[in-house]
Amino acid sequence: MSDPATVAPPKIVESVGVVLANDAYAGGQYILRLQAPEIAARAVPGSFVHLRCAPELPLRRPLSIMLRDQTKGWIDILYKVVGRGTAALAERQVGQQLPLLGPIGNGFSPAPRGSRPVLIGGGVGMPPMLLLASELRREPHFRPVLFLGSEVPFPFAPKPSEFMLDGLPPGVLATMPLLDDWGIPARLASGQGFAGCFDGLVTDLARAWLAQLDETARQSVHLYACGPTPMLRAVAELARGFDLPCQVSLEEHMACAIGGCAGCVVQVATPTGPAMKRVCVDGPVFDASTVF
Amino acid sequence: MGSEGLELKIEFCGLGFNSPLVLLSGCVGFGNEYTRVEGFSHRDVGAVCLKGTTLEPRLGNPPHRIAETEGGMLNAIGLQNPGVDHVVSEILPGLDFSETRFIANVSGSTVEEYQEVTRRFDDSPIDAMELNISCPNVKEGGVAFGNDPEMSARVVEACRGVTRKPLITKLSPNQTDIAENARRCIEAGSDALAVINTLMGMAVDIESRQPVIGNNQGGLSGPAIKPVALLKVHQVYQVAKRHGIPIIGQGGVTSAEDALEFLIAGASAVGLGTGLFYDPLAPARINLGIMEYLQRHQLGTLAELTGSLRLHQ
Ligand SMILES: Cc1cc2nc3c(=O)[nH]c(=O)nc-3n(C[C@H](O)[C@H](O)[C@H](O)COP(=O)(O)OP(=O)(O)OC[C@H]3O[C@@H](n4cnc5c(N)ncnc54)[C@H](O)[C@@H]3O)c2cc1C
Ligand SMILES: Cc1cc2nc3c(=O)[nH]c(=O)nc-3n(C[C@H](O)[C@H](O)[C@H](O)COP(=O)(O)O)c2cc1C
Ligand code: FES
Repeated sequence: MSDPATVAPPKIVESVGVVLANDAYAGGQYILRLQAPEIAARAVPGSFVHLRCAPELPLRRPLSIMLRDQTKGWIDILYKVVGRGTAALAERQVGQQLPLLGPIGNGFSPAPRGSRPVLIGGGVGMPPMLLLASELRREPHFRPVLFLGSEVPFPFAPKPSEFMLDGLPPGVLATMPLLDDWGIPARLASGQGFAGCFDGLVTDLARAWLAQLDETARQSVHLYACGPTPMLRAVAELARGFDLPCQVSLEEHMACAIGGCAGCVVQVATPTGPAMKRVCVDGPVFDASTVF
Repeated sequence: MGSEGLELKIEFCGLGFNSPLVLLSGCVGFGNEYTRVEGFSHRDVGAVCLKGTTLEPRLGNPPHRIAETEGGMLNAIGLQNPGVDHVVSEILPGLDFSETRFIANVSGSTVEEYQEVTRRFDDSPIDAMELNISCPNVKEGGVAFGNDPEMSARVVEACRGVTRKPLITKLSPNQTDIAENARRCIEAGSDALAVINTLMGMAVDIESRQPVIGNNQGGLSGPAIKPVALLKVHQVYQVAKRHGIPIIGQGGVTSAEDALEFLIAGASAVGLGTGLFYDPLAPARINLGIMEYLQRHQLGTLAELTGSLRLHQ
């Protein structure tokens, strides 16, 4: 959160990750598994790494941590090829080494006990939502719900969910198998007509579910979101409409990712007026009502 | 440090530096940011220059503020800072002056503003002040002070009048005769020179046909500017050595070899800015490389290297 008092971030480690896998999925997506034990151990939901994709590129690239195994010491990153850096990353082979800094950033503030976390992820904004879900499932009283959206095929094979969610159009049953394994109800959305998915925006899917909750149940909801800016704006609207707390994870171009250059700022409303906050170390997670 | 009795300590304008490396303004925030990185220590550097500071707080420019370019990057941060009073009362007390020297970076839109910021830093524990004269002069058509020797000298003279702490003038490469500017700044009372600040540049997004950077233009830094910076250091050194004025050479340093090039060209200390973004632990690595070079060439002190360039006749 933007309030540094909430979660003190761990120290950032300068290390070299070894590529354990770099698997291609439809739509130019890749899942990169890196052996990086210190970073795996310290990551919190919302943390990202700053990765040197290729030696000839001056700047590193910020990428979120999607999953981690603290025992085996790896982290997973889901990325989409959009330019030179991510294209170079897609060329990396198993066994190669990649310099990286991490974990970086303030994670999501923990929701109060008894609240209902609703996680909304769009495209390559899904990763922080998955890491958050993997942590929340350790505390069964939370009962999180996920809504994931993508305009390219999902980087996993969707299957019908074992868990009921009310208020959705008939046939909206597809989920991510891993979330079913974790016992977390989830649904998928896309405008591409993928089988079992909600036909439309992920925020409309979330709205349909939130709308059918009774007032008391809805007031316990905490929204968390990561994805493209228009989606985050729509989530912020949703939060405002239902009067719900909402945390969003933002993106901006970065040079240092250490807090030194002030290159990565967003304008945030504060009690004393507008302020420029650094996405890398003041974020990447912010209270949605202060940015949108 | 200190392998086999050799050490990298130098004296710069009467200040003891642990090493000739100086962390550059705008790359390390207000001093403590890099301590977030495990293994990073201010003891590995001679000095740390704080972000450009103005009289009043500034929000800075809209995003995007940075863009990667071939061999470097453009930045247009727009001097985001909380204003000199906040820096003096809230930030300086949090810095550990036993670890390294801290240098303020004085910025402004008028000569009077530079002078007032200098005056307020003079009354603070800061070790030295660097005059960032690359800012636009709002009273005289927005031309950067640093691109005009007359305006540069006026800034230096005004600030010299209000402090006895070391004054370092940071010269702009975006001008015709940097050596002449250096001469004027020295005569106006500058104790040292920083050479060079960023080169102005632009990057274009060919799909939107807009500049990538919110401010349209920005300062180019990183390895792409190193050859320009080396020549400027060499040119300024010809003037500065006659007055015994030391230079902090900078622009694109990422390795010990780069740092050595600057020392040989005429620098007494070497700045590291964008290179930290490549490798936040670069200072310790560069110190080690410099030390190995000194040993290999059987040099007792760094000063023997400064300006030791052997020009082709
Ligand atoms: C905190 C954070 C977490 C992120 N997590 C993920 C993730 O999990 N998966 C994923 O696919 N992407 C993620 N991104 C976006 C990712 O960083 C960019 O897609 C990537 O930097 C693009 O680099 P490129 O060289 O391929 O593209 P280019 O467009 O060629 O990049 C040019 C420059 O712009 C910067 N840039 C371009 N787009 C972005 C962007 N959206 N955000 C930040 N910098 C950008 C690049 O870093 C580079 O410096 C994240 C961004 C941030 C800030
Ligand atoms: C992001 C960024 C911000 C900067 N801000 C300042 C500043 O506030 N004041 C200043 O005098 N120089 C500033 N500079 C210039 C650097 O201090 C340095 O002179 C220049 O970048 C060249 O060195 P380098 O190639 O090692 O980065 C900035 C540079 C960068 C990259
Ligand atoms: S990227 Fe440098 S402060 Fe965030």
